[in-house]
Formats: sequence, structure tokens, C-alpha cells
Amino acid sequence: MEKTAAKATFASSKEKRKNYINGAIAILIAVIFLFPIYWLVAMSFKSDAESFGKIVTYYPHEFTLKPWIENFSDAEFVKSLKNSMIIALLSMTLSMTFGVPAAYGMGRYKVPGSKGFLLTFLVTQMLPASLMLTPMYLIFNKLNLLGTYLGPALAISSGSIPFIVVTLRPYFKSVPTALDDAARIDGCGVFRSFFKIMIPAIKTGIITVVVISFLNGWNDLAYSMTFNVKPEMRPLTANIYKFQSKWGTKWNCIMAYGTILVLPVILLFVFLQKYIVGGLTAGAVKE
Amino acid sequence: MLCAAVSVLPWKGCEIVRARSTIAAKRRREGYTFILPGFAYMLIILGYPLIYNIILSFKNVNVKTFASGTSVFVGFQNYIELFQNETFRLVLKNTFVFTIFCLLFQFTIGFIFALFFSQKFTLAGPIRGMVLVGYMMPMSVTALLGKNMFDVSSGVINDLLMKLHLINAPVEWLLGGGTAMAAVIAVNCWVGIPFNMLLLTSGLTGISQELYESASVDGATWGQRFRYITLPLMKPAIMSVLMLGFIYTFKAFDLMFIMTSGGPLNATDVLGTYSYTLSFKQYEFSRGSATAMVLFCCLFVIGLFYLRLISKEEE
Repeated sequence: MEKTAAKATFASSKEKRKNYINGAIAILIAVIFLFPIYWLVAMSFKSDAESFGKIVTYYPHEFTLKPWIENFSDAEFVKSLKNSMIIALLSMTLSMTFGVPAAYGMGRYKVPGSKGFLLTFLVTQMLPASLMLTPMYLIFNKLNLLGTYLGPALAISSGSIPFIVVTLRPYFKSVPTALDDAARIDGCGVFRSFFKIMIPAIKTGIITVVVISFLNGWNDLAYSMTFNVKPEMRPLTANIYKFQSKWGTKWNCIMAYGTILVLPVILLFVFLQKYIVGGLTAGAVKE
Repeated sequence: MLCAAVSVLPWKGCEIVRARSTIAAKRRREGYTFILPGFAYMLIILGYPLIYNIILSFKNVNVKTFASGTSVFVGFQNYIELFQNETFRLVLKNTFVFTIFCLLFQFTIGFIFALFFSQKFTLAGPIRGMVLVGYMMPMSVTALLGKNMFDVSSGVINDLLMKLHLINAPVEWLLGGGTAMAAVIAVNCWVGIPFNMLLLTSGLTGISQELYESASVDGATWGQRFRYITLPLMKPAIMSVLMLGFIYTFKAFDLMFIMTSGGPLNATDVLGTYSYTLSFKQYEFSRGSATAMVLFCCLFVIGLFYLRLISKEEE
């Protein structure tokens, strides 16, 4: 009796030790992987001299907000920030409008050709921006869509829509049929039951695709840069080159610029991590 | 419900069958109402430019012939000229070198991380999630960060390597061809490793713990359990991670565009950036299209394998 108790404590202390060792390794991995992000933020609070000096400092010795203030007092920066917001929101709205109903249709209805539809969405998800740039540029040129917000938004959405369809289809499939049958019996039309019953039923999935399709627009470089030649129409990503030559070797200002670009991503990530992580897995690999 | 009605009231079967077929037709119409707008969007915004790109690659469209509308078909001339061009051949090689090395590192390390984090310990969940933030960041900022960290004098990579006595003098990372490629690969792996880890973890969690336990009881070593349980059961996940990894890496654009501009001397130029240069710096649209088509064909071959894999699992 005493012997087994001793054995149990031995086993649990071994477990405990394993827990500590694994924890230590995990923290080391986290430190290595998060260091670049720390570096980005730390650089943005350094003084001019410290940021391009020969001596590399690992934290801001003279902490200053100047790089941030310099960015925000630049009219061109503020305009680019606004453009980033507009393009991200516009492409998100477009993607949701076309993507969510398509995902619903493919998850809930058996229609002839549904396999072909799914295949199309899967294939288009793989098409890179660099492939579409030249033909879209020439087409948008004819349609007078160059130098507008709509041009890049249309192109970005063509990447987000397949993602939405592939991610949300299994969610819609998993909602019990009894739910919309009941709504129909209560006299709910097709569209009403779609908005009032189905969308709330898969809230988790909806949050995921809203976040990802917003970030697709926010992170875009290729489309916005190519279709909007004028800097005043460009988002932050596409104006990086312009600001790099403007700030020269003032890495602190460039890094503050980068930090501001990353900020929404980090905020969304911190608050909605489980949705994003789940969505990425569902969208990329069939479970 | 309808089936039950048919069997209970056989004399009304005929009417009900008719009613059922109109209901089926109505449901089909509803289904299409939801699907077709999204499908049409993809056909118009993506399908049409894709076909237009193929046509472009067989014509001689540049800034002059586009404006005057005098472009003509030239057959395979763009493709022949590309493959005769030394820069293009270098770019093609770069794309493969970049992709293969990225896949090698991010898959191996990602797999090790996935195995590590699949153990049960307190910090496993939160840290696995935290590591992913690099994947969500705009690639352009990651590239900017890479440019700063690999800088010769003010870069933190050189400083760290010197402090660890791994190098004696600062390495001119982005100024030499080979080292620039290594730096670009390293930055891309920083993004790719967490992504590989995430996808492989979801494959690992699908394996029943009982399998491992019974194997342990039978005296299987760690290596044997990995070789005979983990690997075979993970095969579908591994295949799709490798193929997706290829597709995502092969189309690289933002990273090189911001971090190295394809330089020095095209050493980090890949198909994506080279196509952009041809179309929007030299205004040789048709040659840019032809380059993009080469990119597309490589992706297409891998994509076919991926689709076969996915449709198998779908059934």
C-alpha cells in the first residue's frame, strides 16, 4: 500500500519535471519566433542615432515616441492608412457578399454540377496574384478601373471568396436540417431563414472569414501597387518603397511604419486567436 | 416525410411524386440562386483574365502596340525568347532553389515542432498559437523587417552571430548572391514553419492515443512508433502540407520585392517578381504574361496532385 503511493508520487514528480522541461523548450521556441516582432516594435521607439548606429542595442536606451509622431504628422502617411482601411473593408464586404451565400448553397443544396463548382473554387484558391497582374491591369485599364479603390478590392476578393466557400461549406453542412425546416414551417422564406437562422448558427465560422478576408485586403501589396499608380490612392503596404526613400536610413521611422501596419493583425490575433487558427486549418486541409 | 406519405397513401402516389419533383426543382433553383453569383464573380474576375493572359502570352503586346491596338499573334516566340534568355533561366532556377530549400526546412522543423507541441504540457496550447502571429503579418512588413535584421552594420543578425562567436566579421548578407538567397529563405521559413506546424498538428491530433499505448505495451520503441504509426497515418496530411507549401512558396512575390528587389543582380529574382519587372518596368506585357504562364504551369502540375488528394478524401 505504502509502496504504490510512493510509486505514484514518483511518477507524478517525473511528470512534473517533464512538464517543466517541455515548458522551458516551448518558451525558448517562442522567444526565437517572437523576437523579430519584438525587434520591430523596439526599433520604433529608438532615437534616430540609436536606430542606425554601429552599436546594436537590444532595447531602446533613449526611449522616444518621435518615430510614431513623425509618421502620424505626415499627411501622406495618414492618407495611406485611410486607403488601407478602405481597401480592406471594401474587399471584405465584396468577399462576404459573394462568398457566404455560395458557401451556403454548396453546403445545403444538392445541385447538378456541385462537384464542378467546388473544384473551381479549390483551383482558384491556388492562383497567385503575380499571375493575374498583367491581364487584370490591361482589362482594368480598358474599364477605367486603374487608380480606384474598386480595382484592387475586386482582385483581392477573388482570392478571399474561394477561401470563404471552402471554409464555411462544412460549417453550413453541420447545421441540423431540423433548424431550417422549423423556420420554413413557421413561414420563413429562404432568404429570411438564411439571414435569421443559418448565419447566427455558424457565428464562429463567420467571425473567422470576416477576419481573414479583412486581413487579405489589409496585407495586399501586389494588386494595390500595380493598379494604383498614384501614391495618394495607395495603401500602406504599397507605399513602403516611397516611405523607405523618404525616411532614408531612419530605421526607427520605417519600423514605426511597419508596427502600425502589423498592429491590427496583432490585435485581431490576440482577441480572436481561436477563430483564426481554426479557420486557417479548415481552409487549408480537409479534416 | 414525403416518402412516408407515399407509402401510406398509395393512390395519391402519382400526385405526390409530381409534387416532389416540383419541390426538387424549386430547391435546385434556390441552390443555384445562392451559388451562381459567387461562381459568376470568379468566372468574370479571375477566369476571364486567366484566359486573356494565355492569349497575351502568344501576342506581342507592349506599351506601344497596346496603345495603338496593333498587336499581332507571334506564336511561341515569347516563350522561345524567354528560354534563350540567360536571366530568365537564372530566375527559373532561383524559384526552384528557393522553393526546395524552404520546403525542406519549414517541413522538417515544422514537423518536429508539431510533434513537440502535441505532447501534453501546460504551455503547449498558448505558445503554439503565439508562434503563428508571424504567419498572419503582412509579408511586406516581414520583408522590411528582414531587410533591417540582415543589414551589414546595424543588423541584429550579424551582431548576434558575432556575440556567439559564430562569425568573426560582419557578413554582407544582402550584397552577395548566395547569402541574399539564404537570407530570403530564412525569412520565409520564419513564416512557413508555424504554418507547417499548425497543419501537421491537426493531422497528429487525429491519431488515437490508444494506438501508441498498445504499441508501448508491446514494447515498441519511440522510433518504431514514429515509423509504423505516426508516419503512415500522417501520410495524407504530410502530402497536402507539402503540396500546399510548394504552391505557397513557388508564387513568392512580396518578400523579394520589398527585401531585395530581386537583387543583387537577379540573385533573388523569382518568376513572380521577374514577371512584374517585364510587365510594369519594361512594359513588355506579353513577355510578362509568358513568364506568368510558366509559373502557372508549374503550379498547375502540383495543383492537379493536390486536387486528386482532396477529392479522394472528400469521398
